[in-house]
Amino acid sequence: MATHRSCALWSCCGRRWSRVMRCCRLPGFRSSWPRGPLGARHLSQEKQATETHFGFETVSDKEKGGKGDIAFRFLNYVRAQHKRKQKKQLRAQQNVSWEEIAKKYHNEEDPLGGSRVVVCDINKEMLKIGKQKARAQGHKAGLAWVLGDAEELPFDDDKFDVYSIAFGIRNVTHIDQALQEAHRVLKPGGRFLCLEFSQVNNPLISRLYDLYSFQVIPVLGEVIAGDWKSYQYLVESIRQFPSQEEFKEMIEDAGFEKVTYESLTSGIVAIHSGFKL
Amino acid sequence: MATLLRSALRPLRPLGGRRGPAADVPLRGVRHGAGLLYPGHIPTSPLQKALLAAGSAGMSLYNPYRHDMVAVLGETTGHRALKGLRDQMRKDPEGAEILQERPRISLSTLDLDKLRSLPEGSLGQEYLRFLDVNRVSPDTRAPTRFVDDEELAYVIQRYREVHDMLHTLLGMPTNILGEIVVKWFEAVQTGLPMCILGALFGPIRLSAQSLQVLVSELIPWAVQNGRRAPCVLNLYYERRWEQPLLALREELGITEPPTVHVRGPA
Repeated sequence: MATHRSCALWSCCGRRWSRVMRCCRLPGFRSSWPRGPLGARHLSQEKQATETHFGFETVSDKEKGGKGDIAFRFLNYVRAQHKRKQKKQLRAQQNVSWEEIAKKYHNEEDPLGGSRVVVCDINKEMLKIGKQKARAQGHKAGLAWVLGDAEELPFDDDKFDVYSIAFGIRNVTHIDQALQEAHRVLKPGGRFLCLEFSQVNNPLISRLYDLYSFQVIPVLGEVIAGDWKSYQYLVESIRQFPSQEEFKEMIEDAGFEKVTYESLTSGIVAIHSGFKL
Repeated sequence: MATLLRSALRPLRPLGGRRGPAADVPLRGVRHGAGLLYPGHIPTSPLQKALLAAGSAGMSLYNPYRHDMVAVLGETTGHRALKGLRDQMRKDPEGAEILQERPRISLSTLDLDKLRSLPEGSLGQEYLRFLDVNRVSPDTRAPTRFVDDEELAYVIQRYREVHDMLHTLLGMPTNILGEIVVKWFEAVQTGLPMCILGALFGPIRLSAQSLQVLVSELIPWAVQNGRRAPCVLNLYYERRWEQPLLALREELGITEPPTVHVRGPA
């Protein structure tokens, strides 16, 4: 019996395999497979036989000879299709896209999931545009829009669970004051998160990045927006901003603990995080 | 190879003082006075000029109302032609005077009342009429920024301010058809790549009928007169306001302009 089973497992060339499968399996089945109802076992045997029949070339009549009728073959075919569909779905479930995951978390009535957000900016026009964008994305409640200076926030102490700032802290005149204010308004246990341009750590990429920043970006600003000077200022201000380690130390100086950073795209931007404990 | 690349990336005007982290990073000092040849000057490397030329050419074609892009195209591509123009001006006595005194045509320098009081048919009158009919002002000309020579920067500024004079001289309105005719005249006269490109690509947006008129009548007339006339930058227009327009045309050898209907964008 063992030899029969092994020949079923190890022979591989098409026709011979199918023939071997069928010759060896039948006796093998009786001993190695659990004894279910006769019908079921018979079906599974049949399935192997018909699958090979469908999958590979037809074998000669001698071996085929009268194996089950059309109804069975049809049923098996349908079963095989169903199984294929299940397998596909399983595979798709394993390769979920970010969009699908986000959709699962999305809540139509309350996109913020019960939390309340205060959006603060020093520029009224920015707030106006932000309000329009939020409304366009479907946010109806839960957002407050406050005009304020990051160096002197109009909020009381220990009020927020999270303080996040993206591409904003570079434009603050006194970054240390902004960090201290962030520390003040956060609750104990609150988290500070900052996304900002930073220093590139790879020398080759740094040269390419400098080349692009200084040669191309102001030109694009001029051609598209008619404004060379603003974009020249932008790329220069990026170079003036402290490196990842320096900024980490500044955040620690403001009183945050467990300060970490993650560089993205070789350090073109970095996400810094700190906790008020 | 590396040195070639470096020189392509450094702004053309050599700057003394400390060097930045990499040779292709322009210095901060550049923007704050050191190395600026004239107010509004933005020093650019050859690579930036090439990118600007390409970008402005594309943008001008895509959106012809971006006059600033046409200006940038002229500045970044016109170095050789501007030198030729400057030399022509130097050789002519009136032109040399212009280079010396650097007059500017703008609303602040023009005495509008005096121009209006001039006799009918004089250059001053016709110029004012042209400004009124086409609803333009001499102050809409952008200042030069990307030319790396102070005298050439003035030459291109003068060319821009004389452009309106040319409209008056050639009797062309400011619709697309009129602008193309003036561009052909200027292309022949100045050799500026921007004028040549504008003359060749401007007609792309024209209707078949206008194109027909352009090719059969207007372009031959413009080219003929452009070749015949002396360099129009050598005229001290500010001193010729009283001169009758027809007399000026005769002096330059410009024949009667064909009629171009002011019917809109053609």
